[in-house]
Amino acid sequence: MSQPVLSVRDLHVEFVTRRGVLKAIDGISFDIAKGEVLGVVGESGAGKSVTGSAVVGLIDPPGRIAGGEVILSGMRIDNLPPEELRRVRGKRIGMIFQDPLTSLNPLYRVSEQLVETIRTHTNLSSSAARKRAIDLLAEVGIPAPDRRIDSYPHEFSGGMRQRVVIALALCAEPELIIADEPTTALDVSVQAQIITLLKRLGRDHGTAIMLVTHDMGVIAETADRVAVMYAGRIAEIGPVRDVVQNPLHPYAKGLMGAIPSLEVETDRLVQIPGSMPRLSAIPTGCAFNPRCPFAFDRCRVERPEPIQRDLHRVACHLYDETTIRAEALA
Amino acid sequence: MTERSYVQVDNLRRVFDVSKPWLNRMLEREEKQFLKAVDGVSFDIAKGETFALVGESGSGKSTVARMVVGLLPPSAGGVTIDGVAMAGRTDAAQRQRLRRRIQMIFQDPYASLNPRWRVDRIIAEPIRAFGLLEDDAQIRNRVGELLTLVGLHPDDGRKFPHEFSGGQRQRIAIARALASNAEFIVCDEPTSALDVSVQAQILNLMRDLQDRLGLTYLFISHNLAVVRHMATRIGVMYLGRIVEISGGRELFLAPKHPYTRMLLDAVPDVGMSGRQRIPVKGEIPNPIHPPSGCTFNPRCPFANDRCRREIPPLLGGVACHAVHEGRITIPAAA
Repeated sequence: MSQPVLSVRDLHVEFVTRRGVLKAIDGISFDIAKGEVLGVVGESGAGKSVTGSAVVGLIDPPGRIAGGEVILSGMRIDNLPPEELRRVRGKRIGMIFQDPLTSLNPLYRVSEQLVETIRTHTNLSSSAARKRAIDLLAEVGIPAPDRRIDSYPHEFSGGMRQRVVIALALCAEPELIIADEPTTALDVSVQAQIITLLKRLGRDHGTAIMLVTHDMGVIAETADRVAVMYAGRIAEIGPVRDVVQNPLHPYAKGLMGAIPSLEVETDRLVQIPGSMPRLSAIPTGCAFNPRCPFAFDRCRVERPEPIQRDLHRVACHLYDETTIRAEALA
Repeated sequence: MTERSYVQVDNLRRVFDVSKPWLNRMLEREEKQFLKAVDGVSFDIAKGETFALVGESGSGKSTVARMVVGLLPPSAGGVTIDGVAMAGRTDAAQRQRLRRRIQMIFQDPYASLNPRWRVDRIIAEPIRAFGLLEDDAQIRNRVGELLTLVGLHPDDGRKFPHEFSGGQRQRIAIARALASNAEFIVCDEPTSALDVSVQAQILNLMRDLQDRLGLTYLFISHNLAVVRHMATRIGVMYLGRIVEISGGRELFLAPKHPYTRMLLDAVPDVGMSGRQRIPVKGEIPNPIHPPSGCTFNPRCPFANDRCRREIPPLLGGVACHAVHEGRITIPAAA
């Protein structure tokens, strides 16, 4: 296998507050290959959006990257000076956020925003850039792009606006796209269209995509691999089919069972007691131990490190060779 | 309308005036503009049943919910609950007695609880407002009982809402709804603001309470999987009308209306069963200028001239010319 587009190694992100240092990301590592979609799921407060922001260096004080490396196609980018990082970010990484209205400047026509972005990162003339902008809008499925390009963002519907944002992210032909809850603000019928579009773009351009969302359904349909996050750590990472259908980590198990399904009728949903801990009060040992039905003494003192188990990597003492408990569970 | 129906919603309509100010209209020579948020919705709910309304944003489902509880007067049509009409000049005293039995749970538990009140005061408010209990000690006992019922501790009553997580706040909202011994609870997207694991807790709690107290729910949601889990019967709304109404299982096994089918196909599912999907076309049109005839016709693969001209009536649980004429074959319910 060739080198991954994005490689994150033991990343730590902290927020310094009056009440002490809060660890939002506490040592996570993952890779994304060319043309691959990595889904990052978790509930609010799991640190999935912070991970996305940290990769592109958009952590603002009081937050800071406290350790680890972010490597984009072999080049370390987390320690670049701000000006250089800004160039990398614009050209080689595209970003798509949840709310398309805040990603677009309401005072400028879509054409101006697209052409400006294209010209900043390429040396196309303005007429060539405009032509490219129209092509991009056509590619993301905006009807009559040669007319629509001169509209203002408010003249587009929510779904169309998100398409414009995707076109904007594609302007500089990035190697990596970070999509943070790209469909959360949209209706289901529109969401399905945007998911299909993202998948197709990743395939056609060979772009690596990091898809951050809380919606397991979206991940199941879009991602190749999935990382389940809990309290700033990756609980489990693996191929999407395996993780969704055969999760190993007790949190991942609970999460899958908690989702009501369209296909299967269940009388009761699986219930995980309690809720995600606050950053200021992360339990010692495994952060999930107070909610975990299988927790034992070791879970309360020692933090589990990721263990390779078939195709998954899971951070849970139950799967440690020295633990017999795993056999009991199986 | 069957004898046993507890809530009857009859041809409910609501029009909002969305015109520009008078001066602008005069200067720009524009007509008044109206938005038909709800356009002739009828359904009934049996006692102890969960009736769900699903639809995308702008379909009018929340407006229906607000009219059913009486937060919004209907422009036309009426709601009858347990034989008492909610609007109109019928017996006011009787209506007041009925109000005690109807409560609502809102989507955002951060906005629906008064941040300056302690939780016990929030939950005691309906008890005091309807004069159910007079004695303070009795009220305190009842509040403690309610908190236990929704899975909190009686001591939690001394805390303020900000000390609770989203799921716990939604439990408080449920306790408040139950405080007046309500029988009918209208839930407007009660779990949309919650994480899935917390959503599962709240949905399980709502079902347990229904079993224990014989509650009737009107459940509003955009999430089809949640609706499937909760509802006995389901109405699918599109642009202010019910396009299909049927039993919970039938709707998912044999959807009739093209919109319902499209919606079911669009839902990303963790089952990854590799279902055959019809690609979704277009978006909900602007409700101020809805399409003529069947409002779904611009997105419908089966639309013909009649669909563009005539509004289809709700017959046999579905409002679609193509289904009525037999142009669409309906998969048999398994």
